[in-house]
Formats: sequence, structure tokens, C-alpha cells
Amino acid sequence: MTNSPKGFTLNNADSCRVKFARRFLRSLIEIKTRQTNYNNNLSSSPSSSSEIRRRSERIKLKAYSSMAHAVGPRKAWTRALLLKLHNRAKRHRFRTRKRSSLAMVLKKKRVFRVKNHANFYKPAAERGNYSVLNSDEKTEKLRELVPGGKAMDICSLLEETAHFIKCLAMQVQVMHEIADQLSN
Amino acid sequence: MQPCSREMQGMSSLLNASSSQISLEDLQQQQSQSSSSIQGSQIHQIHASHYEPPPSHDDFLEQMLSTLGPPSWADLGGQPGKVPWDTTTTVPDGNGPNNKPRDDETPDNVPAFPFDESANLASKFRNHQISGGCGSKSAAAAAAAMMLQHQLMLARGGGAAGAGETGLVPMPLSLSNGEFDRSQNDVVDGSSSDVTLRFKHCTMDSALDLWPALVRRRTSFTILRHAIDFGGSMAAQQNYGASGPAMNQTQAPSGSSGAQPAQPRPRVRARRGQATDPHSIAERLRRERIAERMKALQELVPNANKTDKASMLDEIIDYVKFLQLQVKVLSMSRLGGAAAVAPLVADMSPEGNGGDCIQANSNGGTHGRTSNGNTNNNQTASSNDTMTVTEHQVAKLMEEDMGSAMQYLQGKGLCLMPISLATAISTATCHTRNPMINNNHHHPPIGSNGEGPSSPSMSVLTVQSATTGNGAAAADGSVKDAASVSQPW
Repeated sequence: MTNSPKGFTLNNADSCRVKFARRFLRSLIEIKTRQTNYNNNLSSSPSSSSEIRRRSERIKLKAYSSMAHAVGPRKAWTRALLLKLHNRAKRHRFRTRKRSSLAMVLKKKRVFRVKNHANFYKPAAERGNYSVLNSDEKTEKLRELVPGGKAMDICSLLEETAHFIKCLAMQVQVMHEIADQLSN
Repeated sequence: MQPCSREMQGMSSLLNASSSQISLEDLQQQQSQSSSSIQGSQIHQIHASHYEPPPSHDDFLEQMLSTLGPPSWADLGGQPGKVPWDTTTTVPDGNGPNNKPRDDETPDNVPAFPFDESANLASKFRNHQISGGCGSKSAAAAAAAMMLQHQLMLARGGGAAGAGETGLVPMPLSLSNGEFDRSQNDVVDGSSSDVTLRFKHCTMDSALDLWPALVRRRTSFTILRHAIDFGGSMAAQQNYGASGPAMNQTQAPSGSSGAQPAQPRPRVRARRGQATDPHSIAERLRRERIAERMKALQELVPNANKTDKASMLDEIIDYVKFLQLQVKVLSMSRLGGAAAVAPLVADMSPEGNGGDCIQANSNGGTHGRTSNGNTNNNQTASSNDTMTVTEHQVAKLMEEDMGSAMQYLQGKGLCLMPISLATAISTATCHTRNPMINNNHHHPPIGSNGEGPSSPSMSVLTVQSATTGNGAAAADGSVKDAASVSQPW
């Protein structure tokens, strides 16, 4: 683990990593405790594939959420990611608490995608050659990958993608090191 | 009286001086254009004023003003585009140079093309003068004088004219600018006389200097616009007075920058060959922004040596997918316990190409992180199972077509490599990985990495860790066990 002097001179990247690491570890612990509680209550085998899958899914989601929280809401993709996770969590909670379906529908409707009307609906030729990227199939794929990408034009999409890639790489590295540490 | 007479003298001298040259050009080119009728009318009015004894300053001006209107052209006794220059001896067809087709590029037409714009602009200028309340006859006289200068200078020789008049025009305008703006009845006679005098002075001397300058149509258009637009910056135009070769460069950009509506807006001096209207500026800015973002992305993504935008986007997409995949794999590996690995592996094998890729990675990942001595065999066995499935697939494909086999492997994030290279890599990365680990818990179960077949997962693992830990481009995906698939090349 890179030993960055915690608390002294932290640059932006380092503080991000530290924040992310802290949150992620905390959420791991929380999942572990939840797991043990669950196991104690229900005494189901923890190594069934579905259970494992669910747990890994949860861990993954926690990783993303801690990443988004660590970066903060100053980037569009973090905001979109946090919103998505928030809604998802709410939906889960609704499902367990058996709220009315109407409420669920309403909550779902809140997650609507704002299209950039200025650019989206213009014909491609009108926007110049770089604007063909707005409706390119590759751009569409990129939009799906980057959270919140569907509501951005190509310019901000590229910017968000760059930041997203940086954060993802950092996330992978930290998780990698944590895993190494844990499994030793 | 005096100003008027001086004006007349100026104009007549102009006529005489330029007429010879005009005649030459007329002889060379004879075509007719309707737009030149304006030109013709103006020349006609010069002509008329030349030949009619001006009884008084006011009367002369009234005459000029009266002949300015378009309806009067018909009276000039010509078909549109024809001017009764015939009465004069020296200039048979005053529209000769004016009748050139509007052609920018050919040097033959250089003298002619500015006429159209100059005529229009001059008329506009005139209208501006008249409508703008500068109804004073002195003002109109100065305006007319300036128009004459434009036309006659242009008639003399386009290049020289374009250059010369620009040197000219700012000067008188700078003089009269304030006066025009301030009041309408100011005596501009003095300035107009100065104009004519200066004009006389400049044409002879500077004409030859500026002759070689290549004037573009737009440039002269620009120059006249600058001349007409009082709000424009005169200082910028002073540059036009430079020598011939310098004129070329300054005129081209100024021409491009002048292609704006004549409003008193701060003008952006564009780079050479670029337009400056707001839409193209915005477009250009946008394109530049996108380009710099793509460059930033290129630095982030490995293997970003593609110059093509489309392939660059592909790379970016693949890299993002790869990173998300790694997060998924790492989150699975946290579960710990060897028993968890087998169902995971079995679970993921039916998945698509990406899943297969995970397979190889997860084997390596889980082995690396969760393996104990006991469970190693189990893991190796399971990984071997999945590997053999892939191997069979690849072998089948290779029978048909090597290319498709390669593509299949590539889709899984695997590649073929000779056994020797694979072992070399695994040993190398194993050694480099050592410092990263605090204790050597892993190593005994995995054993020496010299033997290929016993450590397929290890080779996978080491390459993966090398990729993520050191950022080395050892492999884009994982390295397939050389022994099982590849043939020694």
C-alpha cells in the first residue's frame, strides 16, 4: 500500500484514494457483519452461488458508491451515480417493506433522463462534422458505460469519461491492494 | 467657390491622369455588366461635372446629387452597363474595366472586380451620408470626391488601387470623421480639398509602389468597408500603407476579417485562411475543445496510439469496460474462501465473451488472493476445466480459419504466445511482484514458475498483476497457457 502521509500534505488524488479506501473498508465491514447476522438468524449456507453472487454484487455496488462519495458531487457522473444508487437502494427498501406499487412507480419515474434538447434533436449535418459524434453508435455505447452519460453532449461526455477512467483506475488499484492485504 | 474649384481641378486632373490607363484596359477587355451601371453613372457624373461649368458650389453639388439616383441612369443614354463615355475622346468605353467578370483569382481581372463592390459600397456610403443627416452639400461633395477616388484609383490598377486607396482613404476620413460625426453642416470643404490634394499626391507616388500587390476582391471590399465605417479603427488600416509584399499578407487576413456586417463591432483579426463570422468561430472552438479532450483521454488509456477518432473511441470504450470488469472481479475475490471460487467459476463460464474473459482473470485473481496450499489443486482443476473448454473452441476454430481463431481469443482477452515467452514472462513478473507483497504466503503453493503446465493460473495472475500493478503492457488481457493452446512458432 502506498504510504501516503495521512493528514499532512495530501494532494487531490491521494486524498481521494484515502477517502475511498476508508469508506470501502467500512462498507466491507458492514457487509461482513450483516452477513454474519443474517447467517446467525437464518443459518443458511453462505457459500451458495446465489448468495455469493448477491454478496459480490453488493460489494461492487458499495465500491462504486464509496468511490462516488469520495470524489464528491462536483462531477456530473458522480451525481448521476449517486442518484442511481440512491434510487436503487430505495427500491430495495420498498421491496422489502412492501410499499404500494404506485409509490414505486412514482419513485421510478423520478429517475428520468434529461436530454440535452439543444443538441440532441438537431440533424447531424447541421452540427458540423464533430457533432456526428453526438449520435454515433460508439458514443452511444460510451454513454451507457459512463453514469449520467445519456444527458450530456459529446464535449462534456469526453470530459466526464476522462475523469471516470481516472477514478476507476484508482478504484481498481486500491481494491487490489486491499485484497492483497486481506488475503495475506 | 474655392473649394469647389479645387475639387473640380482635382477631379479633372484625376480624369486626365487615369484616363490613359483606363483606355488601355478598356481596349483589352470589353464586356458589359449591369452592376457597372452604377459605376458608369458615377463616372458619368464626374464626366458631366467636368464638362459643365459649375456656376456655384451649391449648384454643382445639387447636380451631382440629382444624377446619383438610379432613375437617372436611363437618361444617361446608355443601355444598362453602358456609359456615354463615347463623348470623351480618351475613354471610349468607361465600363471596360468595370465589365470584367467577377473573378478573384486571375490577374487580368484585378483591376476590374473591385468596381462592383466599390460601386455598391460607394453608393451605400453615399446613402449613409445623405440619409444620415449629413445633408450638407459640402459633406456630400467630400463623399463624392472620395467615391471618385475609389473608382478612379481602382480603374487605374486594381492592386495598386486597392493598396493605394487604403492608404488614402483613412487619411481623409480621419480628418473628416470627427466633422461628419459631430455636425452635418460643418464645413468639410477644407477637408475635402485636402482630400483631393492628398489624393493627387498619393496616387502618383504610391501607385507604382503598390502595383505588384495582389489585391483580392474581398480585400478591397474590406478596405472600402473600413473606409465607410466610421466606427472602425483607423489605426488598423494604417497598416495598409505598407509596402507591396507586406500588403499581400496584411490584406488577406484583413479581407477575411472584414467580411462582417459594417457595424461598429470590435473586429477580430483572424488567422490567415480562417473565417471570423460567429458561427464558424463557435464551431472552431467546439472542435478544438473536443480535440483537446480526446487528447487527454488518449493519455489515460493505454495503447492509445491510434490517430483515428473512431478507433480511439473504441479503445476508450474497451478500457472502461475492462476497468469495470476488474472492479467486478475484485469484488468477487473479496468473498474469501476457496470453496467460493469453484461455483464462481462454474457460474461464469456460461456467460458471454466478457464472462470468459472474467473467467481467466478471476482464476488468476482468486488464486492470487485466496489460495491456500490445500485448495490449490481444486482451483487448478476448475481452472483447467474452463481452460480446456476454451481450448477446444480455439482448436476447432483453428481448423477452419486462423483469423477467426485469433479473433475468438482476442474477444476473450487472450492471446497466443510461444511457451518460452510465457514462461519468461511469468518468471519475470513473479520476481517483480515479490516486493509488493509483505509476506510470502503465496509462493509455496504455487511453486516455481519455470514450468508452464503447472502454473497456468500463475501466468495469468502474474500478467494481470503486472498489468494492474505496474501498468506494464505485458498483455492486454491475460496470457493463455502456452502449453495448452499455442503451437511453438
